[in-house]
Amino acid sequence: MHSGPIDSTPLAVRDLGGSTSLPPRRRSKSAMGKGALPALAFLTPFLLLLLVFQYIPLAVMARSSVLDYSLFSPDNATFVGADNFIRIFTDAETIQSLLITFAFILGVLVLVVPASFALAVFLNGKLPARALVRTMIFLPVVTSSVVVATLWTFLLNETGLINSVLATVGIPSAGFLTDTTQALPAIIVMTVWQQVGLATVLFLGGLQAVPAELSEAAHMDGAGPLRRTLSITLPLLSRTTLFIVVVMTVFALQAFAPAYIMTGGAPQGTTNLIIYHIYKTAFILQQPGYASAMALVVLAFAIIISLIQMRLLRTRWNY
Amino acid sequence: MTTQRIAEPHQLRRLPMTIARFGVSFVVIAIIVGAFLLPYLWMVSSAFKNQTAIFDDLNPLSWKVFLPVGGTIDNFVALFEKGIGLALVNSLIVAFIQVGGTLVVCTLAAYALTRISFKGRGVVFAVILATFMLPAEALVVPMYGVIAGLNLQDTLLAVALPWVSSVFGLFLLKQAFEEIPMELDEAARLDGAGHFRVFWSIILPNVRTSLATLCLVTFLFSWNAFLWPLTVVQSSQNQVIQVAIAQSVSAGELPNWGLTFAGAAVATVPLILLFLFAQRFFVQGLASSGLK
Repeated sequence: MHSGPIDSTPLAVRDLGGSTSLPPRRRSKSAMGKGALPALAFLTPFLLLLLVFQYIPLAVMARSSVLDYSLFSPDNATFVGADNFIRIFTDAETIQSLLITFAFILGVLVLVVPASFALAVFLNGKLPARALVRTMIFLPVVTSSVVVATLWTFLLNETGLINSVLATVGIPSAGFLTDTTQALPAIIVMTVWQQVGLATVLFLGGLQAVPAELSEAAHMDGAGPLRRTLSITLPLLSRTTLFIVVVMTVFALQAFAPAYIMTGGAPQGTTNLIIYHIYKTAFILQQPGYASAMALVVLAFAIIISLIQMRLLRTRWNY
Repeated sequence: MTTQRIAEPHQLRRLPMTIARFGVSFVVIAIIVGAFLLPYLWMVSSAFKNQTAIFDDLNPLSWKVFLPVGGTIDNFVALFEKGIGLALVNSLIVAFIQVGGTLVVCTLAAYALTRISFKGRGVVFAVILATFMLPAEALVVPMYGVIAGLNLQDTLLAVALPWVSSVFGLFLLKQAFEEIPMELDEAARLDGAGHFRVFWSIILPNVRTSLATLCLVTFLFSWNAFLWPLTVVQSSQNQVIQVAIAQSVSAGELPNWGLTFAGAAVATVPLILLFLFAQRFFVQGLASSGLK
């Protein structure tokens, strides 16, 4: 089964030598034709790998999503039509996993955007240890998800550091990761901790591009620091904010290590994030067809997010 | 006289403001140190302790949790006896393949897209751009099928190869290449230099910073990757470091905290040192990648 995107890559490359329509820079039409062969040579390695590891898997996934088979005997597959997709929206465990993932994404966004904005405003001011603070909040960004999840498993453990700190101020210990109401909030907080450094750096870049005159003019007109931040800086950073929202959404959507390492999706499926659910369905329950259908739904969601972002970024927000 | 009258209340109001600002800064910095630095200190210190010492320092909480007091290197010795050295070497090999491959493939493609005009350039770029929207983790199941079809499963090459055609890398280099004036290579072309010569002697030497950024960020991605190596590698002699650590935590038995902390420290500390020395490249590179 070859779908459209698969054929389009070689076609696009093969079709290079034809007549020309691009305006060349001081080059004749024949020179443009000559460009095709070297361009092909320079592009082939990249496009070949892209074809094999992006477009072919996409086609394979689309094909698997209408089949029922196991990884042990892939040739022994039966065509099931839309059954896998119907199953997604009738299987309680998958519905729960999708809802949990949405709640997880929402929780991360609601915390990480204001926290990173506040940190960026703080770091944009004149402070002594600015570089040091920036380095510290960036440490989790360069630490692997595995190590972050491992560290937090022990931080959140009933005899771990957080409970030990709470005990010194007289708060009884909590089993964060084993409690149905605390496990998801706990991994949300962990993810915010992990990503806030990146979001802060992105906001800082945006803040430094805001012209100082605007804020000064508002200052002259008597606007206080809070008013200046809310009415001048924040609207000017809409593009940066949107970019951060998309980056964080896509990151949270793909979260896997928290469920795999910290909870195994427990307690009662409250941390059963969708990528972990897909992994389990494909490789442990041996239902790659059903897993592929779920992955396609995730893919569609990610593409919709990206398209909304592109659409919004195209609108004129330049002040 | 008049100016003084206006200035005075201003200055009077400023002094408590400065104290308040200093106070706020102090509190914020204290929270950041507590939330971001102390967990790392705890991890590294506990790596040098045995199970009893770790729990003795936690209950009741003692300042010793953040320092390797009464340290021992037993955990590290045990780790290397268990073969973590091999996992580290495997991770290095994978990173080497991925960084090298990405550099070659992306620089060549970026050259074609910025320096050679040909019909269909827009189409090729769109075909590449479209994959930027695909979340990598969602493609793991079919990608495993492709790797199995190529008969590459359970090899280090399979861990690295799918990520070599990095769209992020291509964007980064494309931007850098576009900043080099066209006149430079046009002059060289007039002197009879071919495309490869221009690419090698004119373009590449002018984008060293971007190449360094791409190397470091690709190394980071490769070293920290988890789901894909977990999926594609089954045998223990091909295991990479992240999978080795994950398995020591999520194993059914009660984890040995000191041993696990030591593993996490071994996997993380070299990377953090690299980050501290090349912070500018990492921050710029990651900020432009959007984590893809």
